[in-house]
Amino acid sequence: MVLTDEIKDFIQALIKAKKNLHLYPENNPVYIKTLDDIYSRLTSVLQETDSITLRFKQYDILYDTDVVYHNEEKDESFALFFFKDGVRELTFKKGIPKEEFEEFMQVISSDFERDLVDDDIVTLMWEKDFQFISYVVDDTILVEDENYEDEATEQAKSGAAEDDEVMKAYEEAFGIEKSEGINIVPLTNEDLKSIVEEIENDQPEKSGKLISILFEMLYLADGKAEYEEISEFLKQTVRYAVQNGNLEAVIYCIRRINDAFDKESFSQDLRIYLRGIKYYINSIGFVKKLGEVLDEGVEFTQDIISEFASLLDKSSIPHFISILGDLKNISARKTVISILSELGKKDIQLLARGLNDRRWYVVRNIIYILRQIGDRSAVEFLLRAVRHSDKRVKKEAIRALGEMGDVTAVQTLKDCLDDEDEGVRMATVRAIGYLQTPVSRKILLEQINNKQFKEKSFTEKKEFFEAISRYRDTEVINTLFKILKKRAFFKRAKNEEMKAAAAYALGLMKEKSAVDLLEKLKSSKNRLLRENVQIALKRIRDGKE
Amino acid sequence: MEKSESVQGKDIINQLAVVLRTGHFHTPDNVAVLSAIKRFLELINPVILQDGMLRIDLIGEFFYINENRVRYPLEFLLNFDYLIREFKRRELGSLTFVSQVRQEDMREFLRIFINAAFSTTPFEAMEAALEEIDSIRVERLKHIKEERDVDKRRLVKKTYFNAVSFTRGIMQKLRAGEKVSIKKAKRVIESMVDTLLSEESLLIGMTAIKDYDEYTYHHSVNVSILSIAIGQKIGLHRRALTELGLVALFHDLGKMEIPVEVLNKPTAFTEDEWKLIRRHPYWGARAILKLKGLDKTSILSAIVAFEHHVHYDYTGYPKVRRPLPLDFYSKIVAIADQYDAMTSSRVYSRVPLPPDRALSVMMERAGTQIDPILFKFFVNMVGVYPVGSLVLLDTRELGLVYECNPLFADRPRVMIIVDASGKRLEKGNVVDLTEKDSSGRYLRSIVKTLDPNKYKISLAEYLL
Repeated sequence: MVLTDEIKDFIQALIKAKKNLHLYPENNPVYIKTLDDIYSRLTSVLQETDSITLRFKQYDILYDTDVVYHNEEKDESFALFFFKDGVRELTFKKGIPKEEFEEFMQVISSDFERDLVDDDIVTLMWEKDFQFISYVVDDTILVEDENYEDEATEQAKSGAAEDDEVMKAYEEAFGIEKSEGINIVPLTNEDLKSIVEEIENDQPEKSGKLISILFEMLYLADGKAEYEEISEFLKQTVRYAVQNGNLEAVIYCIRRINDAFDKESFSQDLRIYLRGIKYYINSIGFVKKLGEVLDEGVEFTQDIISEFASLLDKSSIPHFISILGDLKNISARKTVISILSELGKKDIQLLARGLNDRRWYVVRNIIYILRQIGDRSAVEFLLRAVRHSDKRVKKEAIRALGEMGDVTAVQTLKDCLDDEDEGVRMATVRAIGYLQTPVSRKILLEQINNKQFKEKSFTEKKEFFEAISRYRDTEVINTLFKILKKRAFFKRAKNEEMKAAAAYALGLMKEKSAVDLLEKLKSSKNRLLRENVQIALKRIRDGKE
Repeated sequence: MEKSESVQGKDIINQLAVVLRTGHFHTPDNVAVLSAIKRFLELINPVILQDGMLRIDLIGEFFYINENRVRYPLEFLLNFDYLIREFKRRELGSLTFVSQVRQEDMREFLRIFINAAFSTTPFEAMEAALEEIDSIRVERLKHIKEERDVDKRRLVKKTYFNAVSFTRGIMQKLRAGEKVSIKKAKRVIESMVDTLLSEESLLIGMTAIKDYDEYTYHHSVNVSILSIAIGQKIGLHRRALTELGLVALFHDLGKMEIPVEVLNKPTAFTEDEWKLIRRHPYWGARAILKLKGLDKTSILSAIVAFEHHVHYDYTGYPKVRRPLPLDFYSKIVAIADQYDAMTSSRVYSRVPLPPDRALSVMMERAGTQIDPILFKFFVNMVGVYPVGSLVLLDTRELGLVYECNPLFADRPRVMIIVDASGKRLEKGNVVDLTEKDSSGRYLRSIVKTLDPNKYKISLAEYLL
């Protein structure tokens, strides 16, 4: 046969391609090249003939009468791979589009060894409904009992009454009333539309529905053994639901359990099993599974997350803290933070234990969550967190203390103004600014009036003035005017920085009485001063922030 | 036109429907009509150029373009269904474009097509009028069952009995606590889907015979076949049909828990026995969930096993405390299950109803116990006189409905068992009730139906 060698080569290339396509994802260059190569080999052979038909024996593949492949290794044999599922012939026809061939390659590269795979190669090819690939299957492997048809037919016929009354039926037929039968009601466009809508709205993920049925089954169950069995099904189903990104089903399950406790009367035994399901949903195993799903990129809406978190038990707080440090995906971490921001409200102390985590980023996240919750009972924990060795944690704690506005934090914050890190000091200034107490105002003014203050960088100075601008009283305004008017003979640049920052603060305050003074400075030769004065004037005149 | 079909078949059928629909509402010169025609010609003329012609056949419920079956896409369901109805109304079986079609040819065809619907002999009217157009030919709708060969019937029987034997094997394995192969079950269902797509009425006909000892297994397979057939009617794709067939096959798995002597007892159930029977949906869902790990199929199977007796209005069993909408597949399986159970003496009732009577009872239940729209699809599928119905014809012949006609629900093929002279026939001729005489009148029509069970008539004797 002329093409035998080409077919031999094609089969070898097909085996290699099957391996590559199994290993690499679709967007990988190796996948793309492999597919291009094998498709071009196939089309090149199909230029010589209208179709290629391969016949499969247990260990051989034949093209016409020639053996083009032989391998008796059970795990390796490409012939056995098709033969064991009943494939006896496989034909590729001329004109096969690349998309169809790719689908074929994906079918044969599937992982048939996985436990939960219920499809063999014939099923997968059948589902594709190929147009240019056909196959012949030997279905005898499906036959359970070769004689069943004959036996059942014989039995059904032998059961027939020997004395049937066909003639009696015939005679009586003329006497009976004419049958109305049923009327054929034609299908209307509305009928078709409603069916199409129903098919389109039919959700493929049905764990929620199964959960509802399992609850009905719990009501029907008889005794402990059945309760236990069904509650295990429920646990498996919530796990399956979360694996498939269906958090609504988990929410539904918890709600059903809560309702059962609140509104329905159950035996003590059943209550124990229902508690067990809730315990499972709050367990580290379940939380880890959720974490894996989130890390794979599954996202939920904020509403779903909030509802889910609100239904969890506080006992799950440590588990969420635990996975928070392990997640790779930023979006997954955000989701867990959202969950903890809701869940943490149930036990601030338990949540604050996360501040002892050895991973600085987890501690920072916990501080962020405490700040989001805003419960002042967290202040005592935050005051300790301010002394954390990592400056990123420190800054987050300082910010939280400021936003939570607790006066007990003032002394600790004041200490932080002397921190060696400028970022920490600036965060502290902002926090003190937020506090808005007379003590905090006093601290800021003392700092600004301190002789050493002008040595700070302009950015840090500006932070102070921005903070003080929140206190719109005469003393603050007079202090700022005084700075604007101050002349200096030495260190003029530092003095101009002070003026620029003061001008900036007056702008933020929209202090109209400062306009005349600012007007005099708007043409200053110092660019920093000039720019900040102009910004301030614009803010005051426009009334814009 | 293999390649073209895969790319354009569904679009061509859909666009033809668009042309005809638009033509119904506007004159042929209307812009909307012209633009629909233009698009249609853009689709067909390249195919005609490549393949020399383009032939659209309506065979059964499917369109074929140049002998390739056109897939039935959900988004075009309305237009496909519309076109099938319009073809049938005119007894049009094939439409062939033999050369490049011009816009004026298509406009003229549209006019002829629409007018033909008002003629008493629509096909003849259309055929005569089309003689003026060189590029378009029509052929009458073929009653495709006329020359059915024995092999096809044998193949269908084989598929059916293989499925029953497989189901029996599964149940026996489950009873013995052995593992069952879902892979194999899928293959069995796929083979049923294939058979149903090509030999729908023959396979449905196999479900009419109820005289088997091991009826439970036959019932499971029958419900699976009838469910797949409904699914096919409503346009589910092959994969969904397999899924539906599989969940339907397992719908009664819970009956394994019921003692065989109760299931097969010849007399009516006692109240205690009914209590057992009513528990089978619960046992079924449990059995399925224990069978294998959770996946889409096992979840769906458990849902359907639990819900198939709940009823559309929730008046069935098990009683549910908090009803959620019934699953779509549960509603399909419930119809198939009710019908097969009602027509058999072995499922619940000890007195089977004749098929047409079962349909009447179900008609009364449509909207309460069963979904009314799905039931319409079901009736359209099994016909007004389903296979196994005992019928008296206006020719004074007595016969058994042998095969339903997907195109004419009230005109099946009938096996004559007593001829017009009153002579009993063992296995008489099979006649087609769509046959007409030269004046266009039907040769035979059903006038009365009788209960074959009342007269101890064994369907197996005639249909197997």
